[in-house]
Amino acid sequence: MDPALRQLLILRLRGGLRQRLLQLASVRGLLFSLAFGGIIWFLIASNGSSGASVFGFSALDRQAFSDQIMTFMPLSMLGLSLLTVMMTTGPTFHFSPNEINFLFTGPFRRRDLIIYKFGAYVAGVALTSAFITLIAPPQSGSALSVFIASLLTLVFVQLNSAVISMTGHALDGSRLAKIKWPAIALLGTIAAVAVVYTWATPDRGVFDLASDFRHSLIGTIILIPYIVFAELFVAASVSQLALWGLIAVIINAALLRAAIVLDERTTDRSLAENARLSNRWERIKQGGSFFATERTEVRSIRRAPILGGLGPIAWRQVLNALRNSFKLIFVFMGLAASIAPVSMALGAPVREPHTLMIIYVFVAFILPRNLVCDFRGDVSRMETYKTLPIAPWRICAGQLVVQVFVAYVIALTIIASALVFEDKVTTEVALVLAAFALPLTFLIYAVENTVHLLFPIKLVAMGRADFEFLGRSIVEFIAKTIFIFVGMAASGAVGLLTFKMMAVTWTVAGLASWLTLTLIGFLAVVGLQYAFQRFAVAETID
Amino acid sequence: MITVTNFSKQYKGFTAVKNLSFSVEPGQILGLLGPNGAGKTTTLRTLCGIIPPSAGNLLVAGHDVVEAPIEAKANLGYIPDDPRLFDTMTVWEHLAFTAAAYRLADFEKDAEALLASFELTHKRDTLVHNLSRGMRQKVAIACAFLHDPKVILFDEPLTGLDPQGIRGIQQAIRDRAQAGAAIIISSHLLSLFENLCTHIMVLNLGECRRFGTMEDLLSEVGHTDSTSALEEVYFSITQAQEQTSETATEKTAA
Repeated sequence: MDPALRQLLILRLRGGLRQRLLQLASVRGLLFSLAFGGIIWFLIASNGSSGASVFGFSALDRQAFSDQIMTFMPLSMLGLSLLTVMMTTGPTFHFSPNEINFLFTGPFRRRDLIIYKFGAYVAGVALTSAFITLIAPPQSGSALSVFIASLLTLVFVQLNSAVISMTGHALDGSRLAKIKWPAIALLGTIAAVAVVYTWATPDRGVFDLASDFRHSLIGTIILIPYIVFAELFVAASVSQLALWGLIAVIINAALLRAAIVLDERTTDRSLAENARLSNRWERIKQGGSFFATERTEVRSIRRAPILGGLGPIAWRQVLNALRNSFKLIFVFMGLAASIAPVSMALGAPVREPHTLMIIYVFVAFILPRNLVCDFRGDVSRMETYKTLPIAPWRICAGQLVVQVFVAYVIALTIIASALVFEDKVTTEVALVLAAFALPLTFLIYAVENTVHLLFPIKLVAMGRADFEFLGRSIVEFIAKTIFIFVGMAASGAVGLLTFKMMAVTWTVAGLASWLTLTLIGFLAVVGLQYAFQRFAVAETID
Repeated sequence: MITVTNFSKQYKGFTAVKNLSFSVEPGQILGLLGPNGAGKTTTLRTLCGIIPPSAGNLLVAGHDVVEAPIEAKANLGYIPDDPRLFDTMTVWEHLAFTAAAYRLADFEKDAEALLASFELTHKRDTLVHNLSRGMRQKVAIACAFLHDPKVILFDEPLTGLDPQGIRGIQQAIRDRAQAGAAIIISSHLLSLFENLCTHIMVLNLGECRRFGTMEDLLSEVGHTDSTSALEEVYFSITQAQEQTSETATEKTAA
């Protein structure tokens, strides 16, 4: 690597470290970092002491664990590669606008710049690998082997994706590029046939079929590069680790060489990709979505509904959802639909406590963090909202309505999936769940937005080691969970009291319970209105 | 149209604006002048209801911005220095959004005219995040003009505009004032004030140092060949204040 670039890399790493330490200097930063550390300690302790994960899955023995890794890890990595091929504009080596301005005009070869970027990535991956090592289950082997395996695998994933993307860019317009979509359609058809086959054959699941493919001759040949990395994870001795580690390093070096060669042929495309990614990150910093539309022009919708002032706000979020998060909504609906069949296949039906816990984390943490069609994505536009001649409660309601609707549809997908795949979930149960899911979703997002406006913060972590952000996310989630559980408990208590004291049917008691939960949701909107009015738009004193 | 009486704003013990009183009548254009931290943006943001005042009364078209914020805002157009538009909406959809927010039933004709006057007609279906800084500024101004507000507040209106854009905006401001709007402009560009403003207020350290018509201010200093008259007024006020502050500090230290 060029000495100047090496120096820059060291300076940037030092700057990142200094930034983290500065976070610790503030009371809030220290508290959130401690909270994050506490959660990590809890995960490590729970792994080490009981041999079971926090969600209650029974621990597999070393042999069974190794078998699972040898079977499914290469398949997962293949899936990731195929996904990269499908997306075509996957991650290559991303240079920020600052790097383009300073480094592209400097006396550096492209090769040096790629190696510089690779070095920065390896430094970040080393941190991620250290984190994985800390929380890895005990049966996964020594800390050193987990760290080396994670590091080399993550480097491989990045390089592999970069080489696939760059190959795609280099082949753009060629005859080979034309077979991409027919090939993807063929693979999709094979996957659909496999699903239908397992559906029709009760004693054969999707995982059995995937396992058969993995251990077949064709499967082994196709998956050879990925099997190397699975072998790294299950290496039983230092010599095995050294052998597979050496092969992995050779594969990664070959991929890095391929990336450097391909980069020379795709410089223009690479610059366009960098500009696109930089724009996306800029939008994220302003509260937008990474998945924002890449189009320049769209057909304008001529009029917005008024609805007493609630209409334009909701309309703005509808457009946001359709143009910003449409693909994401589909991804989440797909995930929601697969929760019941996957949990069944894993032998943990949705009525099991730990599966319910995972569903709750999905609905109340993962979904709100990624799907943002409310105030949280509009913090930088609060100046606009505050100058509108619309009552604050209407603005708040307008902000919530689309987010709640989309999240509710995803919740309904989970319920429908459970209804189809779970014998114990009857139509009556599904209807009750669907009825309660609406006020619950409303409550979740009212609380989420209120917390966000009272303690506004960026929606994405600033780098891999933003412990303050991670800690805050966890603390927020716990606080929100407490609030939501109190609301649900109050709702349940009202239903129970109505049933006991007024001697009514369960339907009436359920209705009382539902009304209570809805009322709590509306009270949360009052809190949101307070937070909106109190929100201080960047109080510059110019 | 705009009446500000004894307005003060404090931030955590720091006084950003102190006991400010002024009024702007229909057709008048008031230029807010002052160094960074003088309290210009705070005054504008308080007037349009973004931040609450610590003390005093602020009336927009006869409506108190604290007591009757909806009515006050319905008569007001605000163009911030860095307009943050909705990145998933087109130029036209911003106008449609504004029309719905201000409850305008028939806005299409006015919207078309505004697009034409700001040379945005060909950008009507463009998503705003693809526009240049200057074009985004024009979109923000078109949105602020759509409901024909009686009061218009500009915070650095010419940032990012090309020469044609600057001329167009200046003309639009003049036209709005002639149509009876009361306008306040905050800027560091003294030439903008000389071209447009009927009144000038010089703010420094949150206090009003000079308020009057442009003619009154210019008559205080004679025109010179090398520097603009307003520039002399500005520096004479702000530098005199700085010297006074330094002298006071030295005396205290002694």
